[in-house]
Amino acid sequence: MDHAGGARAGVDDVAVRVGGAPRVNLVRHVSCDDALRVLPERRSTIRAPRVPVGLPAALRDRGVLSRFAPALTGLFLGALVLGPALGPGFVLRYDMVFVPDPPLWTAGSGLPRAVPSDFVVALLSLVVPPQVVQKLVLLAIFVLAAAGAAALVPSRRTVPRLAAAVCYVWSAYLAQRLLLGHWALLLGYAGLPFVVLAAHRLGEARAGAFPGRVARLALALVPAAVGGFQAMLVSALVLVAVTRTRRGLLAAVAVSGALSLPWLIPALAADAAADPAGVDAFAARADGPFGTAGSLLTLGGAWNAEAAVPGQGLLWSASVRLVVAVVGIWGFLRAARGPAKVWGPRLAVAAAVGYGIALAGATPFGAAVLKGLGVFWTGFGPLRDGQVYVAPLALVVAVGFAVVVGGLARRDAAGRIAGAVGILAPILALPTLAWGASGSLRAVDYPADWRRVQAIVAADPAPGRVLVLPWNAYRAFGWNGGRVVLDPAVKLFGREVVWNDTLVVEAAGGEIAVAAENPRVRRLTEAVTGSDAPLEAVFRAEGVRYVLVEVEAADRAKADNCTLNGSRYRCRFPEADIVYTGPDLLLLRLDRSE
Amino acid sequence: MLRVIAALTVGAILAMGASVAIVNVATSTPEPPDKPLYNYGGR
Repeated sequence: MDHAGGARAGVDDVAVRVGGAPRVNLVRHVSCDDALRVLPERRSTIRAPRVPVGLPAALRDRGVLSRFAPALTGLFLGALVLGPALGPGFVLRYDMVFVPDPPLWTAGSGLPRAVPSDFVVALLSLVVPPQVVQKLVLLAIFVLAAAGAAALVPSRRTVPRLAAAVCYVWSAYLAQRLLLGHWALLLGYAGLPFVVLAAHRLGEARAGAFPGRVARLALALVPAAVGGFQAMLVSALVLVAVTRTRRGLLAAVAVSGALSLPWLIPALAADAAADPAGVDAFAARADGPFGTAGSLLTLGGAWNAEAAVPGQGLLWSASVRLVVAVVGIWGFLRAARGPAKVWGPRLAVAAAVGYGIALAGATPFGAAVLKGLGVFWTGFGPLRDGQVYVAPLALVVAVGFAVVVGGLARRDAAGRIAGAVGILAPILALPTLAWGASGSLRAVDYPADWRRVQAIVAADPAPGRVLVLPWNAYRAFGWNGGRVVLDPAVKLFGREVVWNDTLVVEAAGGEIAVAAENPRVRRLTEAVTGSDAPLEAVFRAEGVRYVLVEVEAADRAKADNCTLNGSRYRCRFPEADIVYTGPDLLLLRLDRSE
Repeated sequence: MLRVIAALTVGAILAMGASVAIVNVATSTPEPPDKPLYNYGGR
């Protein structure tokens, strides 16, 4: 910077002097961090930041504003993305199922997919309405992710930190996983930058500071720990790569292992099987013109075509996102040789490994390996949805893109415009993510039937499972705007729910049915779908007390004996008591002793 | 001056592309699935 420029400087610029004489051309447009790193003994020469007037005293320090700008940006972007999802009611989409009065504890079988996330939600719902809990969790993802990405940028200047925040938050990865309802995974995504920082600091901690650094790592892992297995696995990938010393690595493994126990123990105890067909069903896919590899590079490529942001596959969007990704990777590699040279290369390795895992399922050889691993041990099952592991790459792109934007954002007119364009570029590349991904996310209320049925079952002290029919996992209710969602009945009761967790995915070559993980379901499917014979004896033997039937629209119009109560399933339980019947639900009780 | 024009041009192109994308999506109204049962999704 020239000296005159230094005299006009605001918070981002510093005047660097050595021995009283200005050192012109020593550093050009340096940040506070950079300058301090260059000449730590000259801290007193840093000019005081200009203070904006007309603000509360606490905010008059531009340092405070600058510090919280990424988090506030995350909050704003979260509100912009969620839009109609922040209205009254619940957001129900794919695996994102929140219910009124969630039970604290439900017994289940198969792999623990919502552990401990559902428990934490139920716990929070004791003090805050569950609709509000859902909205706070979703907004927290945006705030944490933005603040974390900004914290990783090797500069304290506001522009690059905001660029990182926007790039990490407004990404195809976050968008697609949000539309798939993977909020628990996104908690891990949001906490990932903090895990990088904590793991890095753990590696350079002296003996006295080590316990404190371990505690900070545990704190950084809390969002992922709440999220559960996918979030923890993604975090573990980064953790192992970034932690340096042997002592640090041991501590990191111990902490992440301890925080994984809530899902690890039931997973190891579960009698679950991972169908190799899941590798074909959930492998990354091309969602734009650049193929699967290109889609993953642009941080998209999630398996479900219906979870793409509207317009995501357009040449325009894909091209701009590809440019952002390439520029980001280039910028990160530059930073990894400079200010981020300690943790940068390690995070780059984690990103490369994650990208490799994601791409593997989409290649014949990689798919064969993943299938073999899944057959060998069910624990390899989480690798089948490989796009999940692109998260470290998203962080690399965000930090690298911020470094480049920071380099362009000089303190002249062109620099300011370049900075603004750089900050807004990820949003302009995927503008349709705004307002609930163009209406894909919207809050709705459960019809009255759902709460009544929940109350009836909760009031019954007699034990017994709840069977949910029709015998499919996913629904597209009219009252939910036709948005596909995991049957909410699965999470509605404080009893074990018997439901069909077979996953059916439509593919170019026909439907792929990923067999149920729950061994009981594998046994019962033949009984339910193999004939029209009564099912009472079968399900009594399984300890089922209640049968909840979600009435299908086509059956409502019929008036024969079997559909007298609105469902063809009534004929399958001819002796069961009708406990409740409404426009949407029919509740039967098998046990006639009471 | 050249840098100002370059930055403005890039910004204008991005804004124009974003506007076209929004209009494109807003004018197409895909039919939601009209059945209570649904697959997990499609590839």
